[in-house]
Amino acid sequence: MTAPDPDRLTELGKRLDELQTRRTAGHKPAPPSQSGIAFRFATEMVAALIVGGGLGWGIDWLFGHFGFHTRPAFLILFFVLGAAAGIRNVTRAAAEINAEMARAQAEARSDEEK
Amino acid sequence: MALNPMEQFTVRPLFAEPVLHIAGHPIYFTNQSLLMVIVALAASLFLTLAVKPGRLVPTRGQSMAELSYEFVANMIHSASGEDGLKFFPFVFTLFIFVLCSNFFGMVPGSFTITSQIAVTFSLALLVIALVIVTGFVKHGIGFLKLFVPHAPWYLLILLVPIEVISFLTRPISLSVRLFANMLAGHTMLAVFGGFVVSLGAAGGIFTGLAIAPMLLIIAIMLLELLVAFLQAYVFAILTCIYLNEALHLHDHH
Repeated sequence: MTAPDPDRLTELGKRLDELQTRRTAGHKPAPPSQSGIAFRFATEMVAALIVGGGLGWGIDWLFGHFGFHTRPAFLILFFVLGAAAGIRNVTRAAAEINAEMARAQAEARSDEEK
Repeated sequence: MALNPMEQFTVRPLFAEPVLHIAGHPIYFTNQSLLMVIVALAASLFLTLAVKPGRLVPTRGQSMAELSYEFVANMIHSASGEDGLKFFPFVFTLFIFVLCSNFFGMVPGSFTITSQIAVTFSLALLVIALVIVTGFVKHGIGFLKLFVPHAPWYLLILLVPIEVISFLTRPISLSVRLFANMLAGHTMLAVFGGFVVSLGAAGGIFTGLAIAPMLLIIAIMLLELLVAFLQAYVFAILTCIYLNEALHLHDHH
């Protein structure tokens, strides 16, 4: 049996490292696609409008039940608040996606340096 | 031949007799209940049997079970920190259930339980209920500070209702995202499937053209497999993010 060739050993080590990083990289899914982001924003916005409008409608209904005819004042007010909440949701979602992308980029860079 | 693309989402009882009555309402065992039982059994059987040998060099099944464990543990750790790991059983169960439901739905002829808003909304309500309970248990009444951003008091009159609405939005956006993705994908598959059938039946040159939507279906099928995984991941990671907020309030600001 001949002594192991040091060059081949280091090469083997390199290949193992490569495989290892590839495996750990595979653990994390890719950052969201363009359409995924668009869809996320759309649902956030629409859901907030539905919740806002629904709340306003409910409050109007409740007041109407007790003899105060506020309809459609609260519906309008809460619809506008819902729109504001929707924009708040979208900015928050955007911040989350930004953080995720930054983390993915930082990981990719540190992998390159290795 | 069922050419209605929405036909695949019909919930129908498997037995004519209701299984039980709850407060006078008959409860039927439907195709959806059957798939839920299959998904739950398959997932728990696979995960328990796969790790049974406990080998140092894992078999393929054991490796899959261990990878999914690590995957979810990493996800919780990065999204909600060390003390978020207390919720590992909940998040893991949720992730595996949604993932398996999505994948079982991809089997032709089966039923996609996550394409029902009733299912996804129930799951989302469960998540939000857990977030609220966790928040109040951990912070007491101070949990309500979640709705009070740092701002002068005269702006708070406007901002607090906005934050409350924004919070109430979560179960809806969480459930609609999963449900709409599944519904859209499966409808698209059925529509292109309908093209194959009608082109094939048209005769002449059109019969040959039927291969085009067929190829497209294969491509969409692959895309849908990715979507199935991605949506389960999104559902689980958002659960972690919401739990993180309940655990740490405004720490990240």
